[in-house]
Amino acid sequence: MEATLEHHLDDTMKNPAIVGVLCTDQLGHNLGSRGSLSDEHAGVVSVLATQAVSLMRDPTDTPTVCLESDSGNILIKAHGTITVAVHKMVL
Amino acid sequence: MGCCYSSETEGTEQSQETKPLIPHPNPESKPNNGTERNSANLPSARTDEQALLSSILTKTALNIIDVSAADSQGMEQHEYMDKARQYSTKLAVLSNSLSQKKPTALPSLTSQPHQVLASELVPYSDVQQVSKIAAYAYSAISQIKVDAKEELVVQFAIP
Amino acid sequence: MTTTALTQGLERIPDQVGYLVISEEGVLASAGELENDEHTAAVIMQMVQTACKFRLHGCAEPPFKRMSVMFDDHVYAVTVSGQKVFVVKRHNTQREPMQV
Repeated sequence: MEATLEHHLDDTMKNPAIVGVLCTDQLGHNLGSRGSLSDEHAGVVSVLATQAVSLMRDPTDTPTVCLESDSGNILIKAHGTITVAVHKMVL
Repeated sequence: MGCCYSSETEGTEQSQETKPLIPHPNPESKPNNGTERNSANLPSARTDEQALLSSILTKTALNIIDVSAADSQGMEQHEYMDKARQYSTKLAVLSNSLSQKKPTALPSLTSQPHQVLASELVPYSDVQQVSKIAAYAYSAISQIKVDAKEELVVQFAIP
Repeated sequence: MTTTALTQGLERIPDQVGYLVISEEGVLASAGELENDEHTAAVIMQMVQTACKFRLHGCAEPPFKRMSVMFDDHVYAVTVSGQKVFVVKRHNTQREPMQV
């Protein structure tokens, strides 16, 4: 059920440090998002995850891409056919 | 939708994007899903039975997409070749104007690159947390399946 | 800044095992595990170009000053300054046993 993902996104947003979450497929289609992350970010998020795979040497070790600033980080991680981005503030 | 470079398209470019490269030769033959034909301007002075019938007809029409009216058939091989040629000429012209656009210069992210690179890494707990969120999301997604309950295309028997 | 001045600072970064300095024209300097690593340079350059398109709502600038690509045992730390892309490969020493 799609509600499972929606529920999971809502749960994730309950963490006070997390201000945005996004789930996209490999083609950059937004499968669900909350807060500061939305449709417009899905493309960049999925492309970054795909490009980072080219830096892998160990096929079991998928990288996490972090876009870091003093106020917070956007962390991007692929799992199977999807990619998730989480916007987490420094508390 | 969120495609990679969607942030670049603004204003006038947006309408350009969805405009077909080659205009449709006979726009009249576009698939008509039947709703306009039947739902518009029903005369009010009708018998109850007629009104009921037409409301049923309207309701049915709203739920139907007439795929037989879609003009997918009837393209000869030479027509395909012609279209392909037309498209490649159009694209060649368009890509010429594109390549004149310089790749955007990289923005400066910091004036102290060494300090930025030497600063502490993202806490491992955050990396783990995101891995978990991704794993949960993946398992949630894998539970989504299309549950087709009836035929999508049905033939209407015409007496 | 001369190339030596650029790279001296990079060599002093803790846990670094190699670095790259890249411009639009190509690799300007490289050392350690990233010496002459054209592949990594090309991939990182693409990623920087992608990441720099990222904008949070209502902001004109990219919302980050460093991009890190984190693996279990190593990290590529990347930033852009003065039209140059700086890449440092660092050992990821902070990995702790999983908390149960």
